[in-house]
Amino acid sequence: MANELTQLKLHVRTADQTRRAELALAPDATGAEIIQAAVDNWALPADTDYALVNVTTGKALAPDATLAASGVRPGDELEVQPVLVAGCKSA
Amino acid sequence: MLERRGAGMRHDRHLRHALIDWFPQARVRAARIAVVGAGAVGNEVVKNLALLGAGAIDVFDFDRVELHNLTRAVFLREADVGAPKASALAARAAEVDPAVRVTAVEGDFWDTLPLAALAGYDCAVAAVDNFEARVRLNRMCRIAGVDFVSAGIDSRLASLEAFPFASNPDCACYECHLPESAYQRIAARYSCGGLRRVAAAERLVPTTAITASVAGALAASAALRLGRDAGDGARRVLFDTIGGGASVAALARRAGCAGCGDLGERPRVLAARAAWRERIAAIADDVAVQTSDPLIVGYACARCGDRSRAGQYVLRRARDFDDRIAICAACGEPAVRIDIRDEFTAAELVRLYPDRPPPAKFAIARAGDGALCLDFETDDQRPQQPQRRPE
Ligand SMILES: [Zn+2]
Ligand SMILES: [Zn+2]
Repeated sequence: MANELTQLKLHVRTADQTRRAELALAPDATGAEIIQAAVDNWALPADTDYALVNVTTGKALAPDATLAASGVRPGDELEVQPVLVAGCKSA
Repeated sequence: MLERRGAGMRHDRHLRHALIDWFPQARVRAARIAVVGAGAVGNEVVKNLALLGAGAIDVFDFDRVELHNLTRAVFLREADVGAPKASALAARAAEVDPAVRVTAVEGDFWDTLPLAALAGYDCAVAAVDNFEARVRLNRMCRIAGVDFVSAGIDSRLASLEAFPFASNPDCACYECHLPESAYQRIAARYSCGGLRRVAAAERLVPTTAITASVAGALAASAALRLGRDAGDGARRVLFDTIGGGASVAALARRAGCAGCGDLGERPRVLAARAAWRERIAAIADDVAVQTSDPLIVGYACARCGDRSRAGQYVLRRARDFDDRIAICAACGEPAVRIDIRDEFTAAELVRLYPDRPPPAKFAIARAGDGALCLDFETDDQRPQQPQRRPE
């Protein structure tokens, strides 16, 4: 019960907004864990690198920081974004 | 009036910009921008800078034009296939506006763009296809105090990251928000901690002219700081070219960041090619010095003990070689133990390199609560031009 109270209910979406979910997460969950869960659950391309942005506050989450340390609050919406380079040489 | 005619004609071309009350035409005309990468995004960045009337654009690329570039690169033509990308792009971009100077620098920017030359630009734009080049250019810009803009694309999204180091040296750098997986991708290009891997597989990210043009437009705007003020921090824009949505995120500096964690606010940069011994002598013996390039400091076969080839490799830059040098010349086994390092004490560096600087671009030493950068490509404090490859 205590654990449930301390969980953060958040919205998570992909950058193209084709995927959305509501999640309850522990405040000590890291951005990297949320990204991994999104990649697994939504079958996002595994060979891509991702970053997390709190679109409610307009702040990027540092890759290794916890939700609490990043100041994420209940109801915030997080976006999983691919970290892009300018394409790649043709194989 | 007559003697000002040339300038007046130039001015006429951009008369409509004068109707935009926030458009800084004089600043744009004075701007010097380095564009690293002459692929799809690089072409679009240069196109926008040239149309806006930027003063000087230098294009850096080591690669040659391939047929598949032609579906996304606005300035490249079929006749350019096989030609150096930077030169092909610069030649055609120069036609846009004769008053805009577009120059090609062929070769890897790491070898052709000294820190002292970078300091002469208003902004460097990364339009390259890999993380490693971005990490390197980011660190150079952070040290030199030059704005850094990074543009990226896939088949649907365009991203823009802006790091206004010139006015805000304490802002986040590119690496502050780089995920661990990107470092793993960089590490996969090397073995033994610095030798190029012969068969490093690059990943294929399909892109289109649509995302390239959006990213190029956002990058050119950020490079010229259009509509932005000096108080800006670092930011990332991600634009969805299908849905039309965009997100803007502020990027905060991260303590312990590999790119900026050891740099303090703004490192002091000292020319140290000719004055190497003098510069390093001013640093206490036990102070840690990090070289910009990993160096080979040991080479001996772990199986048979042979080190007859050590002289060819030791004290040289690791990335000048690939992992085939780990095959022992004496016993033929891939058993050579190669010691590659980029962390030294000042005393160690003097002992290893008594009369010339290490074969690195620069080195960083901690100096009080700040950092000191020794620039090994510069003899004195005069600004340098980018190094053109000899004909
Ligand atoms: Zn950083
Ligand atoms: Zn051997």
